[in-house]
Amino acid sequence: MQRRIFSFLAATLLGTGLAAASLNASAQELRVLVHGSFSLPKPLLAKFETDTGVKLSVIKGGDAGEMLNKLILTRAQPIADVVFGIDNALVVKAQAAEVLDAYSGPAAQRASVVPLATGVVPVDYGFVTLNYDRAWFAKSGLALPRSLEDLTQPAYRNLLAVQNPATSSPGHAFLLSTIAGLGEQAAFDWWARMRANGVKVTKGWSEAYYTEFTRNGGTRPMVVSYASSPAAEVFYSKEKITEPPTGSLSLKGGVFRQVEGVALVRGGQQRDAANRFIEFMRSAPVQEALQTSMWMYAAEPRTARHEVMRHAVEPASYDNPTTDQIAARGADWVNRWTGVVLK
Amino acid sequence: MPLGFLLLVVVGPVLRLAVEAWSGFNAAAAAAMLVDGYLRWRLAWTVLQAVATCLLALLVGLPVAWVLARREFAGRGLVLRLLMLPFVVPTLVAALGVLAVLGPRGLAGSCWGLQWQDTPWLLLYGNLFFNLCLVVRATVEALERVSAARVAAARTLGATAWRAFWRVEWPAILPWLASALCLVFLYAFSGFGLALVLGGQRYATIEVEIYTLVAHELRLAPAGVLALAMLTLTGLVALLYAWVERRLGTPARADRIGRTRPRGLGQWTAVLLAVLVLLLLCAAPILAIIAQVLVAGSPAWAVLGEPETLQALWNTLRFTVAALVLATLLGVAHALVARQSTWLRAAAFLPFVVSPVTVAFGLLLLYPAWSASLPLLVAAYALMAYPFVANSLGAALDSLPPALHQVARTLGASPVRVFWRVTLPLVRPALRRGTAFAAATALGEFAVTLFLSRPEWATLTTLIYERLGRPGAANRDQALVLAALLMLLALLAFLLIDGAGRRAVGPVRARPVAGLRDA
Repeated sequence: MQRRIFSFLAATLLGTGLAAASLNASAQELRVLVHGSFSLPKPLLAKFETDTGVKLSVIKGGDAGEMLNKLILTRAQPIADVVFGIDNALVVKAQAAEVLDAYSGPAAQRASVVPLATGVVPVDYGFVTLNYDRAWFAKSGLALPRSLEDLTQPAYRNLLAVQNPATSSPGHAFLLSTIAGLGEQAAFDWWARMRANGVKVTKGWSEAYYTEFTRNGGTRPMVVSYASSPAAEVFYSKEKITEPPTGSLSLKGGVFRQVEGVALVRGGQQRDAANRFIEFMRSAPVQEALQTSMWMYAAEPRTARHEVMRHAVEPASYDNPTTDQIAARGADWVNRWTGVVLK
Repeated sequence: MPLGFLLLVVVGPVLRLAVEAWSGFNAAAAAAMLVDGYLRWRLAWTVLQAVATCLLALLVGLPVAWVLARREFAGRGLVLRLLMLPFVVPTLVAALGVLAVLGPRGLAGSCWGLQWQDTPWLLLYGNLFFNLCLVVRATVEALERVSAARVAAARTLGATAWRAFWRVEWPAILPWLASALCLVFLYAFSGFGLALVLGGQRYATIEVEIYTLVAHELRLAPAGVLALAMLTLTGLVALLYAWVERRLGTPARADRIGRTRPRGLGQWTAVLLAVLVLLLLCAAPILAIIAQVLVAGSPAWAVLGEPETLQALWNTLRFTVAALVLATLLGVAHALVARQSTWLRAAAFLPFVVSPVTVAFGLLLLYPAWSASLPLLVAAYALMAYPFVANSLGAALDSLPPALHQVARTLGASPVRVFWRVTLPLVRPALRRGTAFAAATALGEFAVTLFLSRPEWATLTTLIYERLGRPGAANRDQALVLAALLMLLALLAFLLIDGAGRRAVGPVRARPVAGLRDA
């Protein structure tokens, strides 16, 4: 018994000692906070590490909204030095919470294909829209819906899967575009009718796309996804195909343009390395690579567009509320959506 | 001195909650929330699923326990010992196990096309997995204490077997049953891990709602109000539990009803059915995990070698050890002090009342202000774990005959010496059992780590949860492998501490075994 007590005490002391040691981050380490969909080719990241002499520590923070919340909750002792993935739906909240420092280096001075906000450097942009399974629609003979209103008809019952806007960034984006495209009251009427027409709600994009989509063995031939997902299907397919098995539907009120950026975290360390990381994200190799690793369009003008992205046609129009509207009403909208659809 | 130490740790969580309530409380907003239909529905469902779990546990557990208590058959001892197993399994592992049986790609799905995703039955099944064993064990212990003489008297006076049960045995076991059911209600009501994974979009509980409000929407004020509401409800049930517990102080009776070998087809069928039910409800999830892990390909097993996993494993181990030491010290101190005061005895239930989500939430609010945060995390772990030590030890101390203590004192031993040489060796089995449960709790701690999850503190449980959130069969298999590893660790810890001696030395007070926290 005594020996056991002593060994426990020794283990604790050892444990706390090691814990204290590991608490101090290593001297030359840059902590980058990203959302769960961040992905860049390892050789590129390795090249950054050798060029700058700092080790990259990529911290995945979950969904973009979760990631921002973590930053806000830990602002007294930040968990990262630079953050990637703040998008136009979140940037006003981030700035209001004062968790970001403005960056004013060359990348911020250069023009970008899409704007974001002062101090946050845009890196890429994409479109949240509906995707449909071509094979399913061909087999069933059902015509593609031409408007959001069509989706509430009995013919389209139980055919759509969406994500919960409270927990998923594309789900949130889709909700915002319905509100901007149809008007707030009409949008929530539409959601109520969609609930009656059997819309399926999932927690995140992965569940909707990989579990519910008929393309992947589910029961819903239409999902909320990205305009670039068909291109990804071609890129990752086992056999060489020339036509994507899915397509994207651009319906009025059903397309949201999402712009993602990289920013400095207030209170973070390694400022030099962080600045260089921001420049790195806007450099040509990264801007070309992110098209096929994160499936977004490059924000840097004159970036060579990858060949497979011809299957990812940019929608002609999109419906975004202004960033200020999102900041002011966003939470209320999500609340109301929960009451209308989930209750 | 131990009192002061205790006050610091026990008042700690209460203070945290007071802070969060004060910072978030707004009378109008609170009233609006309570009227909000969506939240009322969630609360109603939370209560409903807890009550349903209690009822199901009672309906299924009582016959099974009766068979186990009254019939003697080969392997009965083994079954009783294996009933302890669900207590040791961490909640996240159990959730994965349930998914492995009845989830979209579960065993039942591939064999019989049966899958329960998006139904409330998944959560109820998960709840039953944990709580059925609690009810069965409590009822078996209670049934073994029914006086044989009384039952015999009733039968001689002409009562049928059923009437004898209803009029003699049932009232005798009712206090134990009520106490166990209170505990079941508390676990099902404030459980987090199971509801998060198995509840889905429609059937998650209020605890998951609090988590979503904090982690995804950062609406701390409504979360605070909800947490307070949960606290009030669980507080009431915990008071009920404490009140019932106090009435169980009767010493064990000597004349137990002997067990008989089953005779005839009817009785044998009953025994087989009981074992089958236990297999289906309590063993199936664990077996399903093992089965799916064994057939998983090598990419799934490769996850064990990844640096991320090793870091998580290291974190889990060091947090557990640190928390265990702290929990043991706290538990012993608390049990010693609580002998005199019933208030302190009730205070030991505070961590049962305060759900892990609420504690974690309170910690989160205080988090930026406390620079030494790792000790805080360990303290939170210890807080969740030490009630097992305190309660187990308290029960053992209560049942010690005071004569031994008095004799030692008359012979000239100081109080410390008496404690060290007389009391401690006698309560050692109870202490071991309490620390075993505390270790299992710390290993499976999920809610606190999820809330605080600084990336460098990722443990095995958060790693499993993260893997579960990613798509694809490969990730799911990796999650299963990690879950199997965690289960193995929990089992190891349990065996190490509890050892071979499971029989308590000396008279043991009849009290239902407090099961594992649904953390």
